[in-house]
Amino acid sequence: MSNLLDKIGAELRRGMVQIAALSLLRKRLYGYQLVKVLAAAGLETEEGTLYPLLRRLESQGLLTSEWDTEGSRPRKYYVLSSEGVEALPRLERIWEEISGSVGRILQQEGDAPEVEEPVVPVEEKR
Amino acid sequence: MTGPVTEAVHQWLDEAATAMGGDSGRRRDVLLELETTIYDRLEERSGGETPTTKDVTEVLIAMGEPAEVANSFMPVRPLLAPHQTRPFLLNVSAVFAVHMLFVIGATVAGKQFGFTSFRISPIENPGNALGVFARALGTLFFDIGLLLCVFAILPRLQRVIRFPRTSLIVRPKTRRSIELACFLTLALVVVDVFRNNLLALYVPSAEGTLIIPFIGQGIEDNILLLNLWLISAIARELLYVRFGESRSTLGLDVASNALGLVCLLRMVASRELVDLTGASDVLGSAAETLGPLLNTSFSLLAVGTAALLAARLVFRGFRLMMVRRAGS
Repeated sequence: MSNLLDKIGAELRRGMVQIAALSLLRKRLYGYQLVKVLAAAGLETEEGTLYPLLRRLESQGLLTSEWDTEGSRPRKYYVLSSEGVEALPRLERIWEEISGSVGRILQQEGDAPEVEEPVVPVEEKR
Repeated sequence: MTGPVTEAVHQWLDEAATAMGGDSGRRRDVLLELETTIYDRLEERSGGETPTTKDVTEVLIAMGEPAEVANSFMPVRPLLAPHQTRPFLLNVSAVFAVHMLFVIGATVAGKQFGFTSFRISPIENPGNALGVFARALGTLFFDIGLLLCVFAILPRLQRVIRFPRTSLIVRPKTRRSIELACFLTLALVVVDVFRNNLLALYVPSAEGTLIIPFIGQGIEDNILLLNLWLISAIARELLYVRFGESRSTLGLDVASNALGLVCLLRMVASRELVDLTGASDVLGSAAETLGPLLNTSFSLLAVGTAALLAARLVFRGFRLMMVRRAGS
């Protein structure tokens, strides 16, 4: 059971990391820096999950990256591309809608929401 | 950093590199980023002191298994798309059933059957259940490998001019096994072709007649080129699946198309693709009418294919030029 919950939790987190990473990458960050910022915010993410995600977002045009070789070791910095800057507010709105909907469903504590029965005309009943 | 620490890190990276497919540029980029992260973690863990072997062991454990980390970077590209799974299983079942029927037929008749370069020999000792089972299993594996080649290539043939963009569902580890099976099948075909003096499509049977009896001089003269073209085309498609677009795969693609184009043009130039003279006993006077008609049809087909190949050759050549320019 705990394995199943871990798996579901990991899937949920993976979906959220995408928008969290995009939001954080309004500022230029390198991969491991992003891992630490996410972890500090309570979204523990492994490099094996985050780095491929960053590459995917880059290939989708939402991020750009560049190697900085001036420091003690080379670092690959990511930042939102112009498309990413444009897309982020829309993604945030989608996230708020989803988050609001799920929140409302969870607040109902398992009771199915009441759905109005369709009114069937008397003729059809016969 | 001390020797054992860097050694352990490089060993981890080497293992990841081995497990990671894709083009070398992308691989280098990923490995460098992983290496930087490992050293960042080490630095953080040792608090600026020289990291110990214990530190490196714990950091590498936290990074995960190199092969698994490498796999997470590989784009998911299934050899079989979801919609192909059912037809694939049906085809394997059908081909396996037919194949086994021929094996049983060969065993009952007590002689080998030959179809182009493929031979179906009888089961040596039909009374031995283990031997029969092993033969059936071997037959099944062969059919699976063969059909995987066909299924992997078919979608690409459908968009012969466009770039192969693989869409994937099979997990990387499974995909590698499937690809290995395909490569082995291809190797078997190549070995078989060479064993038959590069005449895979045109093998004289034991009775002195031809397995493909009606091929004309145009095909017969170019059989070597035709075989090489077919092999290079299969190899090219498999390499695209395994390594994606790179200078090597594009180079092979261009060479394969050029080979195919030369082969088809030579065949068309000879104008004798079908020869029905040996069939006059069966077809009678119809052979005289049917022969030229088939010849014209096959020539037109060859011309059409040659035009497609020429277009693909130009497109791939141009793409190769672009990739080379970007690389330099």
